[in-house]
Amino acid sequence: MQLPSSLLENAVAEFSKLPGVGKKTALRLVLHLLKQDVNEVQHFGETISKMRRDIKFCQRCHNISDGDICSICSNSMRNQHAICVVENIRDVIAIESTQQFNGTYHILGGIISPLDGIGPDQLKIESLIHRIEKEVVEELIFALSPNIQGDTTIYYIQKKMSHLSCRITTIARGIAFGGELEYADEMTLARSLANRLPVQQYVK
Amino acid sequence: MLQLQSISLVHFRNYVQSDFSFEERVIALCGKNGVGKTNFLDAIYYLSFTKSYFSRPESQSVHHGLQGMRIEGDYLLNNKKINIRCIVRETNRKEFYFNADEYKRFSEHIGKIPCVMIAPDDVALITGNSEERRKFIDTILSQCNTNYLQWLIDYNKILQQRNSLLKAAAEHNLLDESLLETLDDQLSEKGELIFKERKEFLSHFIVSVKKQYQYIAQKNDHISIEYDSQFLTASMKELLQSNRQRDLYLQRTGCGIHKDDITFLMKGQSFKTLASQGQRKSLLFALKLAEFEVLKQQKHITPILLLDDVFEKLDAERMHHLLHKVCVEENGQVFITDTNRERLAESLKEIKVPFQLIEL
Ligand SMILES: [Zn+2]
Repeated sequence: MQLPSSLLENAVAEFSKLPGVGKKTALRLVLHLLKQDVNEVQHFGETISKMRRDIKFCQRCHNISDGDICSICSNSMRNQHAICVVENIRDVIAIESTQQFNGTYHILGGIISPLDGIGPDQLKIESLIHRIEKEVVEELIFALSPNIQGDTTIYYIQKKMSHLSCRITTIARGIAFGGELEYADEMTLARSLANRLPVQQYVK
Repeated sequence: MLQLQSISLVHFRNYVQSDFSFEERVIALCGKNGVGKTNFLDAIYYLSFTKSYFSRPESQSVHHGLQGMRIEGDYLLNNKKINIRCIVRETNRKEFYFNADEYKRFSEHIGKIPCVMIAPDDVALITGNSEERRKFIDTILSQCNTNYLQWLIDYNKILQQRNSLLKAAAEHNLLDESLLETLDDQLSEKGELIFKERKEFLSHFIVSVKKQYQYIAQKNDHISIEYDSQFLTASMKELLQSNRQRDLYLQRTGCGIHKDDITFLMKGQSFKTLASQGQRKSLLFALKLAEFEVLKQQKHITPILLLDDVFEKLDAERMHHLLHKVCVEENGQVFITDTNRERLAESLKEIKVPFQLIEL
C-alpha cells in the first residue's frame, strides 16, 4: 500500500499491530481520526497511554487494578476464602458478568504447555501456592480450559500443594466444548459455577 | 441396513461435477487407469471418515485449478434417509454435515457410516512399518468405541507435550520434575486405557483373521499373529520411570502404546520374508474381512465395502471365494473397480448376483 505521508504510514503500521486489524481497517481508522478535531485525537492518544502507564496488576491476584490491590480483593463483602483460578483477565470478566461467584480470583496468565514454550515458571503458580500457605483458603476452584493443557495445569498445581489441606474443585469441564471459557455463554457458565465438581484424586 | 443411494461430486479431484445413483447392492465400476475409479471410492470413504483414505494433504482433494469442493451422499440407514455432506470452502475451511447439523468435531462422525476399503497399496499393512498396523487397528477401534479416538487424540497431545518438555529440559539443562511426573501420570492414564482396549480387541480379532485366511486360501499355512506391546510385561508408569534417563538423553519418549505392533508369523518365522505373493494377499484380505466382520457385529450394520483393483491381486480361485463371501454371503453394499469390463462382469455373473455396471 503506497501512502502519501510517512506520518500516515506510521500510524497505519501501529494500528495494524492490533489483533484482528488488517492494513485496510487500520487505514480506515487512521483516516477517521484525521477528520477529527486535533484536541479530540490528543485526548484519544493520551487516554490510551495513561491506561497503559498507570494501570497496575493486583499484587495478590494479578487482576488489573487501579491500586496495589484490586477492587475484588479489597471488597470485604466478598468471600476471601475462596479462590477461582483462571487463565486470563477475560475469564474474570466472563465469570463476573454471571454474578454467580462471590469469592476472589487468581490469574495464572496462561496454562502449562511445553509445546508452546510455556512452563510453570512463566505462570503465577508460585504466588498461588504462597497465597494458599499464607491465607485461610477453604476452596480452590479451577476454571481452566477443558483440554489437556488445562488438566496438566490442575494436576501440576495439585502436586505442588499436596502438603496443604484445602478443598479443590473444578467447574463442570467441557462446558465450552473444546473452546475457551470466554466463549461460554453466560447461562452455561453460571450453571457450571454453581455445580462444581471435586477434582478427582488422580495425582497420588 | 446401510445403502448409499446417490453421490454427488463437485470439484473433487478429477470430477468437476458428477452425480451417480445406485440401484443395486453390488456396483461394478470400470474404466481405464486414470479415469478416477480410486477417487470415486475415496469419495465414499471420505463421507464415512471425514477424510481421504490416502494420507494426502487436503488441498489435493480439490480439482486442480479450481477452488472449494463438495461431496454429498444420500444414504438409506435402517429405512431412514440420511444426507451426509462435506464442503471445503474457497478459504479451505472444511464443513461436515449430518442431515442439517454441522459437526463441531469431525471425530463425532466416525463410526456412524461404517465402511471398509481395500486398495492396492494396502499390502504395506503386512510389509510396511508398525505405524501402518497401529493405524489399521485404531481405525477399527475408533469406529467401535467412541471414547477410543478421543483417548488416542489425547494421548498424542500429551506425548507431544512430554517430548517438548524433554527437549526444553535438555536445552536449558533444567528439568521440572513435578511437571514431568504430571505428564507421565496423564500419559499413563490414557495409555493404559488404549492398551486394554487393543488387547481385548486383538484377542478376538486374531482368531477371526485366521478364520478368514482359511476361507480365502482354503488352507491355514501355519500362520500365527501376535500383539506385541511393552505393556504385556510392565505398566506404563513403571516403564516411563525406568526409561526416564534414556528419554531425557534422547529427548523423546521411547516407550508407550505408540510403539505397539502386530507380528505375523508363518511356521514360527517372519511372514513378511517367507510368504509368497498369493499368501501376502490372502493375509491382507483376511485382515480386511475380519475388520468387516467386527464392524458388522459391533455396529449392527453391514459396512459398505470398497474394493479397489482387487482383480490384479488375487488368482481366479481366491477371487471367486472372496466375491462369493462379500457379495453373496453378506448382505451389505459393495463397490468394485476394475480396468477390465468383461472380467468384472463375468466374475459377478458367475456368482449369480444382480449388479449395476457404471462405466467411468
Ligand atoms: Zn486482586
